[in-house]
Amino acid sequence: MTAQIKATLLATVFALGLAAPVAAQEALKLPNMSYRTGPFAATGTPHMNGQLDYMTMLNERDGGINGVKIAFDECETGYNTEKGVECYEKTKADGALVTQPWSTGITLQVLPRAGVDEIPMYAPGYGFSAMQDGKTFKWAFNPPTSYWDGASMILQGISDGNLDNLNGKKIAFLHLDHPYGKEPIPLLESLASKHGFTLLPIPVGLTEMQNQSAQWLQIRREKPDFVVMWGWGAMNGSAISEAVKTRYPMNQFVSVWWGAHEPDLKLVGEQGKGYRALSWNFADSESKLMQDVKKYVVDAGKSQINAEAGEFDSTAYQRGILMSVILAEAVKAAQDKAGTPNINREQLRVGLENVNIDAARLAELGAENMMAPFAMSCSNHTGHASAWMVEWDGSKFVKVSDLLTADRSVIDPLVEKAAADYAAANQPWSMNDECK
Amino acid sequence: MLYRVAGQYKTSYKADYALFPVKQDAWLLGVILLFAFVILPLMANEFTFRALLIPVLIYSLAALGLNILTGYAGQLSLGTGAFMGVGAYACFKLATIFPELNIVIVLALSGFFSAAIGMAFGLPSLRIKGFYLAIATLAAQFFLVWLFQKWAWLYNYSASGAIQAPNIQMFGVTVAGARASAMTQYYFVLCVVAVVTFCAINITRGRIGRIWKSVRDMDIAAELVGINLMKAKLLAFFVSSYIVGIAGALFVFFWRGAAEAELFDIQLSFRVLFIAIIGGLGSILGNYLGAILIVALPVIIGAVPSALGLPISPSMVEHLNVMIIGLLIIGFLILEPHGLARLWAIIREKLIIWPFPH
Amino acid sequence: MDFIHSILIQPFLDMADAPDFLIQVLWEGIVSGVLYALIALGFVLIFKSSRIFNFAQGIMVVFAALTLVGLHQKGIPAWLALPMTLGVMLLLAIAIERVVLRPLVNQPDIILFMATIGITLFLIGLGETIFGGENKRMITEELGIPTDSYIFEPFGGLVMIEQRDITAVVGAVVLVVCLLLFLNKSKMGRAIRALGDDHQAALSVGISLSTIWVLVWFIAGMIALATGIVWGARAGVSFALEVIALKALPVLMLGGLESVSGAIIGGLMIGILEKLFEIYWGQPLLGGNTESWFAYMLALVVLLFRPQGLFGERIIERV
Repeated sequence: MTAQIKATLLATVFALGLAAPVAAQEALKLPNMSYRTGPFAATGTPHMNGQLDYMTMLNERDGGINGVKIAFDECETGYNTEKGVECYEKTKADGALVTQPWSTGITLQVLPRAGVDEIPMYAPGYGFSAMQDGKTFKWAFNPPTSYWDGASMILQGISDGNLDNLNGKKIAFLHLDHPYGKEPIPLLESLASKHGFTLLPIPVGLTEMQNQSAQWLQIRREKPDFVVMWGWGAMNGSAISEAVKTRYPMNQFVSVWWGAHEPDLKLVGEQGKGYRALSWNFADSESKLMQDVKKYVVDAGKSQINAEAGEFDSTAYQRGILMSVILAEAVKAAQDKAGTPNINREQLRVGLENVNIDAARLAELGAENMMAPFAMSCSNHTGHASAWMVEWDGSKFVKVSDLLTADRSVIDPLVEKAAADYAAANQPWSMNDECK
Repeated sequence: MLYRVAGQYKTSYKADYALFPVKQDAWLLGVILLFAFVILPLMANEFTFRALLIPVLIYSLAALGLNILTGYAGQLSLGTGAFMGVGAYACFKLATIFPELNIVIVLALSGFFSAAIGMAFGLPSLRIKGFYLAIATLAAQFFLVWLFQKWAWLYNYSASGAIQAPNIQMFGVTVAGARASAMTQYYFVLCVVAVVTFCAINITRGRIGRIWKSVRDMDIAAELVGINLMKAKLLAFFVSSYIVGIAGALFVFFWRGAAEAELFDIQLSFRVLFIAIIGGLGSILGNYLGAILIVALPVIIGAVPSALGLPISPSMVEHLNVMIIGLLIIGFLILEPHGLARLWAIIREKLIIWPFPH
Repeated sequence: MDFIHSILIQPFLDMADAPDFLIQVLWEGIVSGVLYALIALGFVLIFKSSRIFNFAQGIMVVFAALTLVGLHQKGIPAWLALPMTLGVMLLLAIAIERVVLRPLVNQPDIILFMATIGITLFLIGLGETIFGGENKRMITEELGIPTDSYIFEPFGGLVMIEQRDITAVVGAVVLVVCLLLFLNKSKMGRAIRALGDDHQAALSVGISLSTIWVLVWFIAGMIALATGIVWGARAGVSFALEVIALKALPVLMLGGLESVSGAIIGGLMIGILEKLFEIYWGQPLLGGNTESWFAYMLALVVLLFRPQGLFGERIIERV
């Protein structure tokens, strides 16, 4: 018995001593800061699963990217910024090629450091909208679309494409009282003054996420023409239940993409009919991409998803898949540019700037209709993919609009100013002067 | 043998009241300081600095502040997180309004803001006691965090509502902000913590400390022997919140780099309280031991499975971590309710008579 | 002048302007007040009998609700899952008494308080390991709780009252009445109160400390389950519920740590006043979200005048 333990220990020590340095050269280290615990685990877990499963699929199907295996390790943060610092330092010390901070709070902490440490920060569909300015934020990327893009597209969606239709209307902005929730307010305010609608911000405290009766009483009193929701975690489900309870017309209730989350809607089922969300992705379990994931990962028992609860078909899980698709495309672009399969951080940064997922590439990936084509460049670190309005029909989400496109003429000046402010507050700040 | 006190005679009262009446204590401290200033920095990498050493120091400082209030003066507070926040936001405002001011002065000044707020919320302690007071300090906790969110002036009207530590130089070296190296930040924090600890030791073992202890043990009796309760309690709130405020400023400027209001929520208050209690109320040393246990242990536990190659998912590790911390707290409370500092005191007693216990 | 008008007069004009809306606000206040009161009741029971400030009450609510939903998901029918959950809560009570409370008898209050925080952390980790972190739907229909709502039209307006909220209020009242009867009339109940009044005297007349403690923690677990069902029916069951339990603290302050009726009146007061303040003062004047601190400030102000809370036992200090 003891001999056996000793042997195991010895084996472990050898494995640690020998395997680690070898692995360091042969794998693409793309770690993720996951949160499968804590109050936001409900929305976090399916995204984490999606991200992880696509990378596993590449490893299983293609043996990695261009023959190099991917090490997609997770570092659990529980959405806690303190763990975020720990995970960032840990993955950096491990030689990670990229940092994926996930929570907006962690993003804020990591953003200046990533610039100094020269690690690309990949924040798909979240983070700071001004990160689109690649000249200022040389190392930060938030494809395929930013929150400000999202806010602009939502307003187009509810105004039938012409924001002047909103003149004299009242829009309630129900948001998490948190950097993430406050993010679109500057844009919405400027649009409100330009197009003559009234903006009514309604904050939901982190501790009050599941106790929103006061917010919905306010909505009942103010009778806004639309409620735009910028929520996360347990907040969305509670808001949808409250909306049903107060009989707020569901077809006037719109959410950002995180609100396109089936489990939240299943809480109310049929009564949630008409609820809309802007989503840059659309779940299509029959696509070649998803079928491959199913074949190589899910059916092979290598996935952590909760298949009985229908997680495979969920928008959130497939969104996670697409997040990894974009990152894998960046790695490919980086390998092409660098001419070597073993890339470093600077090469991955260049790769991210050269991501070009056009319609043909989407078809090749087997992801037509799952997301809109987009491309990033040196000065454009967001890509500004278009997005759809999806609507809950009582049991699933269906597309109810054509692709919407954000109004650049309003967003870009704001981005320029926000980026300049950020750089000014963080002097000395190194700009990427190679961009035009 | 090693810890023999026999033969160390005191010939004056002054010698008897010295900081280290026993020579070995001074040596031990010397060794610890040598470790902290020379050996650890030589061995540490950036991860160790940012995930272990710096947070342990900052949390011990915050716990020290709380311990003065709760352990020495007997006033239970659950508002530590918010008072740290006051220090951090004050530091941010001062550093952005007067960018040319030396960061040490900014830190020292920002402590006064949290001290003033702490004193204001300490006023009810003159009437309210025990758990009722603890819940009263919760009012400070929740109100202040709400204020950090709503008062846009505090975060310079930034769109995200968060504060960001700017790059600050001292004598040509960047000490705060993203460009500062981990080792500089560690030394800076270490020096601040050492100075504050030195002051705290001397305050708590002097006249003021004795007044606080008498208030803690029975405030009515203390009043009867002529202690001004109002002065004593408010002074405790002042000193405690001052230290906590500095800890808060260090927390953002020398560790996190950025902070949103929720950072200073009640969980932070609890964490600091844990450290103070597990370490030992009414002890200075305990804060450091407590911080090592509560802050560093989870990091180490989190690293164990991957180091051993055990196939446990990171989320499972996190769950286990939370459970283990919970069990450890209960275990330590059962084992030694007076905290790790008492445990050390017992060990020291044993060492003094070892190896001849009779 | 405008400022004073907006604080002192405008809110009342608003109230008079839309009386139906005011009724709705009051009703919502009552419902959340009942929930706060239920959580506070769990605290009070344990505090009365053992002087333990049980911070774990919040996580017990989550744990009980998760167990119920989890058992049901495993295919166990609701009528069976309910008693099984109670069984789990009983086991939990016994375990807590054996492992945590017994070795800590006679320790200072703050140590016991910290121990309950230790229990909280342990239960969070355990709950997440077993049940996972996602938001779950409470099995409202399966438990036979009606989910329709009544619509009234007083003063030409509209007031909506959910049947499940009525169930919650009625259920809470029944629970409290049973509890009061139990505490005042039954032998066990009197033993609990005796233990609260004087530990040593109670022990010397043959009251078993450990039995009573298990019993009290079990009752607190039952209350936790009731709270979990009611709140879960409104917002789903997830770990985010735990933070709502913190709201019970100002309720306790207001009502007094030892008083059952104080917990109920305090809960209702806070529920109604914070809702009124948020709707008529907080949202128009202060940027909203004042519910996060209003209850604590209110309690603080009350404590300044009555340091033992509205219904607490008078604090007499001797040297």
